[in-house]
Amino acid sequence: MKDIKELECASEIYNYYGAKPEGEILNREIKKEATPRAEKERQMYFDTKSSASVEFPYWYTRRWEELEGEVQIIRRAEALKSGFEHLTPSVLPGELLAMRKANYLRGSYPMPWMSEGFFLLKEDDLFKEVQNAAKASADEVTTMGQGGGNVTKSIGNIISIAGKFGLRKEEMPILIRVAKKWFNKSVDDIGHKYEQFVPGYDTKEEIMRAVICMFDSGYTLPQGREVINYYYPLQFGIEGIKDICKEKQAKCAGVPGMDRLYFYKAVHTMLEGLQTWILNYAKEAKFMASLECVAEQKDEYLEMAERLEWLSKNKPRTFHDALQMLWIFHVAVLNEDPISGLSPGRIGQVLYPYWKHDIEKGILTKEKTIELLECMRMKFTELDCFASMGVVGGVLSGNTFNNLCVGGLNKEGDSAANELESLIIESAMSCNVPQPTLSMLYDEKLPEEFLMKGVECTKIGTGYPAWVNNRVAMEFLLNTFGKEGMAPEEARAWAIGGCLETSPGSWMPLEVNGKTYFIPGGSAPATSVGVHFISLPKVLEAVLYDGMDKRTGRRVYPAHSLKLESYNDLWKIFKHYFSITVEVLTLTNNIQHDIWGKISPSIINSMLKPDCLEVGKDISNKGCRYNRTFNVEICGGVNLVNSLASIKKNIFDDKNFTLNELKAAIDANFGYLSALETGSYSLIEQVKTANFMDWLKIHKLCLDAPKYGNDDKYVDDLFKEWQIWFSKMCENYISLYGEPLYSCLISVSTHAPMGAVTLATPDGRLCGTTFADGSVSAYPGSDKNGPYALFNSATCYDHSLSQNSQLNMKIHPSVVSGREGSRKFLEMIKAYLRKGAFHAQFNVVDSRMLKDAQKNPENYRGLMVRVAGFTQYWVELGKQIQDEVIARTEYEQLG
Amino acid sequence: MNHFDCKYYLNTDVFKGICKRDKIVINADDAACSNFENAQKCKHCSNYSSVQTDLGTCMNKYDAYPEMLAITCNDYKQR
Repeated sequence: MKDIKELECASEIYNYYGAKPEGEILNREIKKEATPRAEKERQMYFDTKSSASVEFPYWYTRRWEELEGEVQIIRRAEALKSGFEHLTPSVLPGELLAMRKANYLRGSYPMPWMSEGFFLLKEDDLFKEVQNAAKASADEVTTMGQGGGNVTKSIGNIISIAGKFGLRKEEMPILIRVAKKWFNKSVDDIGHKYEQFVPGYDTKEEIMRAVICMFDSGYTLPQGREVINYYYPLQFGIEGIKDICKEKQAKCAGVPGMDRLYFYKAVHTMLEGLQTWILNYAKEAKFMASLECVAEQKDEYLEMAERLEWLSKNKPRTFHDALQMLWIFHVAVLNEDPISGLSPGRIGQVLYPYWKHDIEKGILTKEKTIELLECMRMKFTELDCFASMGVVGGVLSGNTFNNLCVGGLNKEGDSAANELESLIIESAMSCNVPQPTLSMLYDEKLPEEFLMKGVECTKIGTGYPAWVNNRVAMEFLLNTFGKEGMAPEEARAWAIGGCLETSPGSWMPLEVNGKTYFIPGGSAPATSVGVHFISLPKVLEAVLYDGMDKRTGRRVYPAHSLKLESYNDLWKIFKHYFSITVEVLTLTNNIQHDIWGKISPSIINSMLKPDCLEVGKDISNKGCRYNRTFNVEICGGVNLVNSLASIKKNIFDDKNFTLNELKAAIDANFGYLSALETGSYSLIEQVKTANFMDWLKIHKLCLDAPKYGNDDKYVDDLFKEWQIWFSKMCENYISLYGEPLYSCLISVSTHAPMGAVTLATPDGRLCGTTFADGSVSAYPGSDKNGPYALFNSATCYDHSLSQNSQLNMKIHPSVVSGREGSRKFLEMIKAYLRKGAFHAQFNVVDSRMLKDAQKNPENYRGLMVRVAGFTQYWVELGKQIQDEVIARTEYEQLG
Repeated sequence: MNHFDCKYYLNTDVFKGICKRDKIVINADDAACSNFENAQKCKHCSNYSSVQTDLGTCMNKYDAYPEMLAITCNDYKQR
C-alpha cells in the first residue's frame, strides 16, 4: 500500500473510479437522415411537453359511478368504453398512423381507480393519510430530468405534476374531485387495507420507508414488462372478435363457470367502445380534410379516414392497414392501466405476410416502408406513462420500454430474420428516437449480414439493438414454463417484454391472402410483477447496523444482536434479512394483484392474450397460456458482492481493520461530503471533509479490495454463490397464481434513488452515490482488465437460472469505426454470448460529449444514451443517472 | 377569446397547439384571430350549470367542468 502522505498528494484518489472526461470530443461515426415526414414529426416532438388531461378518468369515473351494483368486470368494461368513446381525437398534419393515448402529442392521464392519493391536495387530510402509509418514500429521493419534454415547474396556466407532466390549471379542480371519488375504493386503498392482514406487515411498511424496496407493483404498474399479442385483431378484425364473444356467450350463459359469460360480455362491450373511438378519429380526419387546401395532404386525411372506418369493423387488407391495427390495439391496452414495458415483440415477423404481399403486388415500396416504420417509431416515442415521481423518474427515467425484437428462430427452428426486419433496423438508424428500442435475439443460425446490420445500428450510438442470447432464453423458459406445458417449439416464440424481461410466447396461425403463417406473440401476463426492487446494499447496511435504517433512524428488521465475528455470520444474517423481505413482499404483492384483478381486471390485454378468449378467463384468472410470471427483482448486486469481498478480505482474512472501524468509516462517509450535499452522484467528483485523512487508509483498503469485473476468482466466487442462492430461494415463495417466483436481474433506473438513500458501502462507494447499473455491469471505473476479463466475471454463473442478466458497456466511438470496427465489435459480442451470457448492450459515445451535454443541454436535445435496458434522451434523465453514465468505464480497445 | 377556446385549435401540449386552418403553431393562451369560432366545450352546453370557478354540473347530476371539450359527447346541446 502507498504511504499515507503519498496518497494525500495523489489527486487520483478523487478519481479512483473513472476519470473526469477532458479534451476534444469525438463524434459518433454515422449519421443517417430520417425521411422529411418523420423528421418533421421529430422536430415537433422535440418542441412538445409531456401533458396530462382529465378527459378519460372523468368519463371512466362518471360511468363507473352510474353502475354501482353491476358485475365488476362489466362495470369496468363500461367505464373503459365510456373513456374511449369520449377521448377527443387529435389528427396532426403529416401523420400516416392515427390514434394516440390522449389529445396531446405526448399525452397521458391519471388513473385514480388504480391509485388516487398522489392527486390529492397536499393540505388535504386524505393526502396526509397517504403520506403516513409510507407510499411516497421513493418520490423524495428521485431526481427528474430538467430538460426535454419534462414540465419541471408550474408556470402560468400550467401546473407541474411529478416534475414531468403539465396539467392545465382549469382541470385541477375536477381532477381532485374525481380522485376523491376513488378514496377507499381504488386498488391501492383497498389493497392496502387487506395487506395489513399479512403477518409482519409492519416490517413491510418499514422496508418501504427505508426504500429497501422501491414500489408496490400492484398499485403502480400492474401490467407491462410483457409482450403484446396482435393475433386476434389481425386474424378476425373487431367485428370478428365480437362474433366470437357472442357465440361464446350463448354457450356459457347459465352453465356453471359463469364468470366466462361476464368476461365475454365485457370484451364485447369494450370493443364497442374501441369502435367508437376509432370512428371518432375517422370523423376528425375528415374534418381536417375539409379544411385542407393542399391536395396531397387532403388525400392523406381521407385515406386515413377510410382506413379507420374499415378497421373499426374488419381485418387489415394491407401492410399499412395491419400496422395501423397494431397501433390501435397497442394504445388501447396502454389506456386501460398505468403500464410500462408493453413490448410490441417480433412485429417484423408478424407483419411480414402483409409486407411481402404488398411488395410483390407493387402497392408498396421499400422507401414507403421505411417512411411508415419511421412514423411508427415516432408514435412509440410519443408514449408517456403517467405515474408518480418515484415511478416515472426513479424507475422508468421517463421511458415506456416498448421493446421490438428482431431475429430469433421460427416455429421450425430456422432463422426467423427477414427483409422487413432489416428495414426495421434501417428505420431505427435513420429515425434514431428512443422508441421502440430494439433487441437482437441472437442465434448462431442468423445470417452474418443481418447481424452486421445490427452492429451498424448499435455503433452509431442508438444504444439499440441490445444483444440477447436466444438459446439461454429458451433454456430459462423451458425450465420455468415446462410444467405448464411449454415445448421447445413454443419456447422459440419468445421475445423481450419491457427492457429485458424474457417473456413466453406462442405461435398463432394467421391467414393472409389464402396462406397460413405462424406468427409469434406474447402468451403470458405481466412479468416483473411481484417483489420490486430490493436494494441489496441497503439490506447489507441493515445487517451491519443490527436491523436499523441509519438514514431514518427506524428499525426495519428484528435485531440480530450478533457481533458478526465471522464472514459466515454476516452472510447468514444477510440471507435471513433478505428472506424476510422477499416473504413479506410476496404476500403483500399477492394481495395487491388479487385486488387489482377483482376491481380493475384487464379486459383489452386479456382479450389479446392466448388463451383468454378461448377459455373465457381474464389474465387475473389465469386465462393466459403461461402464468408463472411473478418474480423478485434486485438492485445493486455488484455493490453487494464488492462489499462482501471487501469485508471478507479486509476484516476476516487479512484483518486490516475491524468491523467497528469499518462502521465508523461508513458513518463518516470515508471523510467525504455525501452526494446529496454535493449534488454529484458518481465517485468521479466528490468533495473531501476536513477529517478526510482520518479515514483515508480504510477507504483505500476498501477501494483496493477485489472487485467484480476483473476475472478475479476471489470476488467472482462470491458473486456466483449469491446468484445461485438467490435463484433458488425465489422458488420458496408462491405467487398469486400458485406458481413459484423466479429471479430477475435488472435495475432499470432504481440504482439511482436506491443509491441516494444508502450510506457509504464497504466497497468504498460513497453515501448517496448511484449503484452499479444492471446486474452484471461492473461498478463504474472498477473494471480495469479489459472486456474479456469482464466477460469471464459476468459468466461465472449460469445465466439461464434467472429471467435475465444485464451488461452495459461504454465504448469509445474510435474503437468501432469503419467496416473493420464493426466486424471486431460483432466478434466481441459473439464471444461474450458464446460463453453463455444472456445480454449485452452498448453506449458507443465519447464521455466528453456527455460531460459537455450536462453543461450545455440546449445543444444536445437529440442526444440519446443507453441507461439500463432502455435508450433515453440525455436531457430527460435525472442527474443521478447522468452522473453514473458519465462515470462508466469507457473501453478504448476491444481486446 | 383565446386560441384555447377556438374550434380550430389543435392541442399539441398544454402550452400550445396548431391552428387547424392555417397550420401555424400558436400558444393556447394567446388572443384568438378573426376566424375564431367557439370550440364545443361544456361551458357552451345548455346541460352545464356553473357551481364555482372551474367546476359545475352536467344535467344537474354529474360533476363537470367548463373547459372540457365535448365534441364526443352525445348529450351536448349548444346553449
